[in-house]
Parts: sequence; C-alpha cells; structure tokens
Amino acid sequence: MAELNIKNVNKSFGTTDVLKGINLDIQDGEFIILVGPSGCGKSTLLNCIAGLEDVTSGDIMIGDDNVTYAAPKDRDIAMVFQSYALYPNMNVRKNIAFGLEIRKMPKDEIAAEVERVAKLLQIENLLDRKPSQLSGGQRQRVAMGRALARRPKTYLFDEPLSNLDAKLRVEMRTEMKKLHQRLGTTIVYVTHDQIEAMTLADRIAVMKDGIVQQFGTPQQVYDDPANIFVAGFMGSPSMNFLECSVVKTADGFGVQIESQGKTFELAADPAQADLSAYEGKNVVLGIRPEQITHVMPHVESQPFVTRVPVKIEVTEPTGADTLVLTHINGQECECRVHPTEAGNPGEQMDLLFNMSKAVFFDAQTENRI
Amino acid sequence: MSVTSKKGLDYWLPKLVLSPTVAIAIIFIYGFIIWTSVISLTDSTILPRYDFVGFEQYVKLFQNPRWLSSLWNLVVFGTLFIGVCMVVGLVLAILLDQQIRAEGALRTVYLYPMALSFIVTGTVWKWLLNPTVGIERFIHNLGWESFQFDWIVNPDMAIYTVVIAGVWQSSGFVMAIFLAGLRGIDTSIIKAAQLDGASLFSVYSRIIIPSMRPVFFSAFIMLAHLAIKSFDLIVALTGGGPGNATDVPAIFMYQFSFQRGRLGIGAASAVIMLMTILAILIPYLYSELRKPKDA
Repeated sequence: MAELNIKNVNKSFGTTDVLKGINLDIQDGEFIILVGPSGCGKSTLLNCIAGLEDVTSGDIMIGDDNVTYAAPKDRDIAMVFQSYALYPNMNVRKNIAFGLEIRKMPKDEIAAEVERVAKLLQIENLLDRKPSQLSGGQRQRVAMGRALARRPKTYLFDEPLSNLDAKLRVEMRTEMKKLHQRLGTTIVYVTHDQIEAMTLADRIAVMKDGIVQQFGTPQQVYDDPANIFVAGFMGSPSMNFLECSVVKTADGFGVQIESQGKTFELAADPAQADLSAYEGKNVVLGIRPEQITHVMPHVESQPFVTRVPVKIEVTEPTGADTLVLTHINGQECECRVHPTEAGNPGEQMDLLFNMSKAVFFDAQTENRI
Repeated sequence: MSVTSKKGLDYWLPKLVLSPTVAIAIIFIYGFIIWTSVISLTDSTILPRYDFVGFEQYVKLFQNPRWLSSLWNLVVFGTLFIGVCMVVGLVLAILLDQQIRAEGALRTVYLYPMALSFIVTGTVWKWLLNPTVGIERFIHNLGWESFQFDWIVNPDMAIYTVVIAGVWQSSGFVMAIFLAGLRGIDTSIIKAAQLDGASLFSVYSRIIIPSMRPVFFSAFIMLAHLAIKSFDLIVALTGGGPGNATDVPAIFMYQFSFQRGRLGIGAASAVIMLMTILAILIPYLYSELRKPKDA
C-alpha cells in the first residue's frame, strides 16, 4: 500500500522559508495535483517527497515507512521531470532499462519489462533512437516509460506537459488520466495550469507562499474556495470580485451593487453564507462569470436571481460563449452570455445575477465568510 | 545614380575594411606555408636557393637519428601531456561542480597558470626542478638528505619534467572547458539518475562523461596542437637537453633552419609538423562541420 503522508513539513533555504508546515494525507491510488503560481513551493515539496531535497523539519511517510531521511532510491518512487531529463547518450531502450540495470535485474527480465512499457506507451518503434532524435511528445512518453519500468509505488510528475504545444498537451492529459486509471497507483503531480489540475486530479492542493491554501476535490475547490486566492486561481476566466456593502433585505441579507448610477440589491442565499455579522460593512462578493448570464425566463423566476441592466464595454467571443466585460461598483466584471444574446460594446444589456452559487469573502482577511 | 553609389559603398565598405587583414593573413600564413613547402623541395642551406632536389630533404630528415628521437619524444610528451591534462582537468572540474564554497576563487586559482607564458612556466619550473636550488635542496634542508629528484638533469627522465610543467600550465584550462561542459548538463538528469538508484560514480561514468564526448574532443584538439608546436616551454625549461634528451620537432626545426644553416631540412621538418596537425584537425573539422546537417 502506498499512502503518502506529509506531516508538518518545513523547508528553508537559508533564511527563506519555502514550505511552511505542509500537511497532506494522500490515499493509496489517488491522483493528487499540487497547483499554484510559480514560487509557491510546489516543486520544492515534490523534490522533498522524492528525497532530492532534505526537509528542514517534519516527516514524510510512504505506507508505514518513515522515509524522511531515506535516499531517493530507497523510497520506491519514480519521477517525470519538466525537461524529461532523458540520458542524452543512451537510446530509448537504454534509458528505460537504466534504472533496472542499476537494480541488478536479470537481463532477460529487463528486456521483457522494456517491451511491456514500450507497448503500453506505444513507443516500440522508437526504442533504438537517441533522445535528440525524438519530438517533444515522444520524449515525454519515454520519460513516462522510464518511470513506469520500475513499477514504483508512487509517481511524481513535475510539470510534465508544460513543454508541449497546446494540442499535444490536451492529448497527453487524457492519456495521463487513462494511464492512472489503468495503473491505479498514487500520483503526485505539480502544475501551474489550473485546467490541468481540474481535469486530472482526484484532489487538488492549492498552494501559495509555501502554505496549502486548500486541499479538496476539484469541485470543492471550484465551488467552495477557502479564500480569495483559491477562488481567483481556479477557473478561467477567473471569478469576479466585487467589493460591496451588506444590506438587510426582505427575508435575509444581501449586497448592494451599483450599475450606471442605479443601485440594486442582490439577495444572498443563506445556505452560502451568514452575512448577519457584516450588516452595513463591506464584503467581497465572488461570483463566477457563468453565474451572470443574459436573461433566460426559466432562470429569472428562480430565487436569488436579480435582473440588472449594464453597459457593455468589451466583448470577447470564445465560440461557445461570449464574455462581456462591464463595470459594477466601479470594478470590472466579466459575464458569460450566449453569443446571439450579446450586444455590441457601448450598448445596454440586461443581465441575470444568479447568487445561488455566489461566495463572500471578508474584505480584510480575504477568507471565506 | 545616387542609389547605385550608395549600394556600392554598402557593398564595398566591409570588403575594404577587411581586405588588409585578409591580405596579411593570405601572405604571411598561407603564402609562407607554400614558400616553406617549396623550400623543403630545394637544397637550400643558410639562404634559400631554388635548386629543386625533389624529396631528398625528407629522405635525409628521416635518416637523421636526432629527428627520429625528437619524434619519439613528441610521442611520449604528447601522450602523457594530453592524457594527464585530461584526467587532472576532468577531476578538478567534477570536484568544482559539487556546488562548493568559493568556487569562483578556486576556479581562478586553477586557471591562472594559463595567464603565464610558457617561457615563464619553463623558467619557474627550471628553478624548482634544479637539484641544487629547487625542490631537492628544499627537502634536503628539511632533513631528508638522501632524497633525490634530479629528473631535469637525467637524460632518461628529463622529458617527464616537460610533462609536469606542461600539465601544470594547461590542466586549468582543460578544467574550465570540462566545467563548462558539466554546467551545460541539465541538473534534472542527475536527479533522475539518483532516483533510478545510480551512485554518484555511476552517474558520472555512465551518463555525464559519455554525454560530454564533444567536449573531450575539443579539449583533445586544443592539447594536441599545443603539444605538437611546443617549443617555448622546452626551450625555457631544458633547452632541448640534457644533450638532445628533450628534443622535439619544433626545436629540431628551429635549430636546423636558423642555427645550423640547413634551411631545406628545417623546412621539410616544418612541413611534416604541419601535416601532423592537419591529420588531427581535418577529421575534427569534418565531423564538426558535418554535424548541423545530421541533427
């Protein structure tokens, strides 16, 4: 079994604290994604798990073994690097076999294992080529093959898709997910691409400044962000943040917004947040672009939906939807409307604000209310 | 009219500026190579004469025991000099590459001998190796009276003192070449190999050093041409002696051409040296220039 437990791990380089008390409990067979902006410590954490960096304090457990001070080779993990790190002087076959040779596996078993991996990744025809003769996607496969050959308990991936072009990245993403479903091993995967995180992960750990901001399933992270950072990082286009004041409404609380000099009250769903303590104070309303749409009669009749006329400033057609940029409370606000409903820049348009999934943040602490 | 004259200036100016250099190079390098080759086919003595005698000077050259012993010295010196420089340079580079403190300062220390001329190196090592003033005397003064280190005056060993001085001078430079090669290797390759379970020794011996083949090749070429044209170091260190024990082709060429008044045989020896260098250089250039098409 290969649960991976990271207990209160700290890592400092000199006086710089890169990881500050990381705790992650990863179940056997889970696909975990560490996501965050560059410099958030996600790659350092991965290197600590691999044993390539020593932790300053804390424990790393794989299964029942405390591997905090074990050498990388004794941790039974394999890692795929961003640059692929293929051995340039060896052909693909030797690259895959190297780790097995070092572990003194008999020759015929190595040959069989290389064949198995090559078949799995469909690189049989590349086995006698040197890395310099391979394309980016092929190198990526070979790097995965090298990791697979050792049949480790845990796989670590360090931004493995970031050097591929956009189309190939989407293809490899799907393959990566299929591979995980087939192997069923624990995977820890680092990326800065939130779409990769959403599509691949069983659970996502969103990191910033060496701290795990939130650790949960993609849907939890998307719908129930712990703070403004997580809410803004996950989702594209990102969530709108509107600072507005809390007012008492007919049957609860709501926020007041202003568009073109007129004020509107948006009733808040009490299931989303209890705003009673914030009456009269400012909060940050977080509302995703897809919750602000053109007028649809069946939506308008739902609770917590308010119709607001706005002035269109910019439109960005994406094909499936058109993004409309407007100003609410003097702050930019992006809305996702049907292409045929979108007006032209400068025109007026009525939008429906659906508050059933809106979230609220404390204006000072930026934490979720 | 104005268009053509402007184009004309653009066209001619670079050629005009470069032409003196090109002319000088053509005359003084390639012209004199040809002239030397011509002289080597004549019976010139103190002054050049143009009575052609075919390859007679080459036949004489290879019948001359001093030339043969100087060639043998070159083989001994060249092999040891290149080999030891490569090993020392590589070891220093690998050690310096372990992210040690004061790397910049140490690198400069090792590279510094390169800043000296071979004459200075030769002179310093002549004193150091001199039994009556150098290392031997120093050890004697420390109390080890039977210590003997007289290679420089021993005809059988003198050539090795040239190797010592040459290695001291050039291994820092080789180290710099290797260090640059090591720095060019993606550090995640080393990490990947560690995860594969390779020891540091096998990381270097099986992955890093094999993938530095072009660097080895460059270092070899640099050292080989230093070895073949080595002249000043030997003149300063041993003067070709004791006797003719450290004679090398360059000294042979100098002495026969300019001191013994046998310009023809000297020119022949110079042509042979050129051929030796070309024999090393042409395959190298060929492989280097061919590469871009392959990759």
